Amino acid sequence: MTTPQIIVMIGGILLILFIAWFFWLSPKEQTRISTNNNGTQEVAITVKGGYTPDIIVVKAGQPLRMRFTRQESSSCSETVTFPDFNKSAKLPEGQEVIVEFTPDKPGEYGFQCLMGMLRGKLIVE
Amino acid sequence: MVKDPVCGMEIDPNVAFESREHMEHKYFFCSESCLQKFDNNPHQYVLMTEDPIGSATTGFNPNTRVLQIELPILELAKEGQPGGELIKKALKKLNGIDRVIVNSTSGIVVVDFDNQVIQIQEIVGVIKKTGYLVGGSKTRIGIENIRCTSCVGFIETELKATPGVLDASVNIATQEATIDYLPEQTTLHRLNSAIEDWGYKTRPALSEESVDQQQAAHEKEYKRLMNRFWFAAIISIPVLITAYPKFIPLVRDWSMTTLRVSWFFAALLTLPVLLWSGGDFFNGAWAALKHRAANMNTLIALGTGAAWLYSTVAIGFPGIFPEGTSEPFYDVVAVVIALVVLGQALELRAKGRTSEAIKKLMGLQAKTARVIRNGVEIDIPVEEVLVGDTVQVRPGEKIPVDGVILEGSSAVDESMLTGESLPSSKKVGDDVIGATLNKTGAFKFRTTKVGKDTALAQIVKMVQDAQNSKAPIARLADTISGYFVPIVMILAVVTFVIWFDFGPKPQLIYGLVTAVSVLIIACPCALGLATPMSLMVGIGKGAENGILIRSGEALQTAQGIKTVVLDKTGTITKGKPELTDLLVVDKQQVTRDEMLRLAASVESISEHPLAEAIVEGARNKGLSIGKPEAFEAVPGHGVIATVEGQRVVLGNLKMMKRENVDLVDLEVKSEALANDGKTPMFIALNGKAAGIIAVADTVKEDSKEAIAVLHKMGIEVVMITGDNRRTAEAIARQVGVDRVLAEVLPEDKALNVHLLQAEGKKVAMVGDGINDAPALAQADVGLAIGTGTDVAIEASDITLIKGSLKGVVTAIEVSRATMRNIKQNLVGAFIYNILGVPIAMGVLFPFFGVLLSPLLAGAAMAFSSVTVVGNANRLRAFHPKFSSR
Repeated sequence: MTTPQIIVMIGGILLILFIAWFFWLSPKEQTRISTNNNGTQEVAITVKGGYTPDIIVVKAGQPLRMRFTRQESSSCSETVTFPDFNKSAKLPEGQEVIVEFTPDKPGEYGFQCLMGMLRGKLIVE
Repeated sequence: MVKDPVCGMEIDPNVAFESREHMEHKYFFCSESCLQKFDNNPHQYVLMTEDPIGSATTGFNPNTRVLQIELPILELAKEGQPGGELIKKALKKLNGIDRVIVNSTSGIVVVDFDNQVIQIQEIVGVIKKTGYLVGGSKTRIGIENIRCTSCVGFIETELKATPGVLDASVNIATQEATIDYLPEQTTLHRLNSAIEDWGYKTRPALSEESVDQQQAAHEKEYKRLMNRFWFAAIISIPVLITAYPKFIPLVRDWSMTTLRVSWFFAALLTLPVLLWSGGDFFNGAWAALKHRAANMNTLIALGTGAAWLYSTVAIGFPGIFPEGTSEPFYDVVAVVIALVVLGQALELRAKGRTSEAIKKLMGLQAKTARVIRNGVEIDIPVEEVLVGDTVQVRPGEKIPVDGVILEGSSAVDESMLTGESLPSSKKVGDDVIGATLNKTGAFKFRTTKVGKDTALAQIVKMVQDAQNSKAPIARLADTISGYFVPIVMILAVVTFVIWFDFGPKPQLIYGLVTAVSVLIIACPCALGLATPMSLMVGIGKGAENGILIRSGEALQTAQGIKTVVLDKTGTITKGKPELTDLLVVDKQQVTRDEMLRLAASVESISEHPLAEAIVEGARNKGLSIGKPEAFEAVPGHGVIATVEGQRVVLGNLKMMKRENVDLVDLEVKSEALANDGKTPMFIALNGKAAGIIAVADTVKEDSKEAIAVLHKMGIEVVMITGDNRRTAEAIARQVGVDRVLAEVLPEDKALNVHLLQAEGKKVAMVGDGINDAPALAQADVGLAIGTGTDVAIEASDITLIKGSLKGVVTAIEVSRATMRNIKQNLVGAFIYNILGVPIAMGVLFPFFGVLLSPLLAGAAMAFSSVTVVGNANRLRAFHPKFSSR
């Protein structure tokens, strides 16, 4: 094996490790939502290539109001769905759409676009 | 002399400080401060002016200080509500209220108020605090090009001053006004002109027409994608020529130097393809990366980006690469981007078709209604129709909203909602459903549900929610696609390393081509699209046939049903007794029709369901019913009356014994009828036995047929009823049910369903949504049989709008067809990726010496997701066994 081949081999292994760490193992940023005066937890979510914020920590038993604004025309993200809550909403481009429900049971619930390209997570505590 | 509208001072127009034109009127001001006040809110002062300006648009007359307004209060008409008094007390406390009249039965509060002391908005606010809501309409009007924030205030004030408006607000961001108003007192037209007076053009609010809006957005997106595709496609041609010079005459003869120059051009040409046509991929990939996520955009961006970078370095610094590897791959960049963008555009087109069912449903809504208010017929937009309005419908017209017929009768075609092909006849007191078609007669009806509450609106909402829900089967695909992209990236690295270290020469080229192919051929989209697309079509298909499936989960469970439990009354049977048999002792004494006529005459003043069945039976035979005299009802026995001089006794065995009637052989015959599940009644004329009239809750015409088909589908059919075993078995024999659970108390129905489930079967329960709710909830799938309007029955997983058991068959058929389609999609998508990725890695190379070109990988990827959507669209051709069309 030549030197470049060994370098490529080692580089490849390192790259694989990096990919695994970056996507799966590294800690992800969580956004904690505080409750406002009315007792509602409110969060504005921008939809553009992904959900920002995408990992949202909320409290159980308090109404949750999510204000989605989609800032892209790609049809993938036109629907956001919360499969565990049987909730979904169409997101017209540039228009704020409100999704409301009260998460009762603590746990981790995913939300996503219809085909699962964009994903977010709701952590109910 | 004129009056300063602000301070009220009399001034000479010629010496006025300044003047302003407002709503076609000229105003003069004494000082700068008055002018400023006016400019801040002109409307306030226009109203204050004592001159009867009488705004031409609002019809507002400021001279009348006391105004009267009728406010419809929601839920006030409900019995036992203390609302009227509460509202009265609360309003009386306010300044400026002259008189409050509460009419609880019609749910209206009439308020006389001084509009200079108190505004309608305050009154409405006070009523809200008592816990009641003022009924009215909410509408949104789009305002074109509204930019100045101060105009927002003017328009709001103008709208609020329009009689009948309860509240108004303008949102500058959405360019829309939201208005709460009483449709009886104003019209949309007036609201529009209130806005137009300020020089703005109005348009329908965007959010009002979500389907059209979505369609328009899709159309725009399709054009955007197609532009990008064409650009990439056109650039691809010269780039392909320079990439494969060997195959093109003329170019073949170019020297290496010329070729190198052409590659530089290719590099420049493909840059806009990469950044503009493929811009979405890079933006999407970057956005995902920031969230430490990866998706299909990441793969395409990596693949094409790597190809472009390598090519550019290779032609820029050929020296650093081993002999024979400094070749560019610009063709991969242009062609792959062109293909994938084309694939996205086609996918979008195909997706549009999947929601056709819902578009059809929404298109059913009538646009206008002919409402009778104050004795005048007016055509108004359907959004303005109120609960309690009287609406006139002529033959051939659509019924605008839900209601009850007040006057007239007709045949109504309800096929669009129920799937029932025969028009149903409607008379006074019958329900009519909005969006259905009036065929023959004219009638007037009182509206009971409008706007979001109509059956159609609820159906649409329910279908949309269900279409966007998830089937459990999708969870596997979802979990996999969460790991999918990083795994593909790892495989691409592995591929490159293997080819570089162990492959034939030129290793760098082989490694790069295969790694790029792996990135491009992998298609997480096909996996992600597999379930939702089929679900969209399948649930829409159900709705077209009068079957409302609440969620993807319900649809998935329905396919595996092994046992169907049918409630007897109202599900298998019509739920209402009907005349079935007439037996006479002696035809000489009385004919069958005559006996029925006499019995019906006696029963015509009774309200017992059995009596109604006899009267209905006589009417259906066209018999003229006489007047009973000396009517006497004997509880637990029957009735006695004199009709046209004959003493008619109608009742059970006890009644006959009491009257000492000799029954001859009638008793035996009545036994036989009772064994068939019928209710026999003896009739005696002038003390002599005349015959038997039997009534029974008859089975629906199509129950037997539907049950037979269920059997054919391999499903066990069980009947559950509270009736005695004899009646139950009689019905069971008629319709061919396998198993009868008789004498089951209503509260034990759920338990019985549970016992059947304990036998290890998936059980569906079919019943009405109210009495059978616990059993419906207990079953794996609860199917509620609707009666037309109560479509959104909470306890059920599936609602059958048409009250026929054929719906059960169709529901299971839809479920099976959709699930089959989903499985095809999932299996197809899995196989595609499981075969495609290794082929792209080059596993075939050692055996056959073939390698997948990245161009082919791009084509495969682009069309795999189109294929999935296309396959889902095949479901649109689904045809139920009991087709109504």
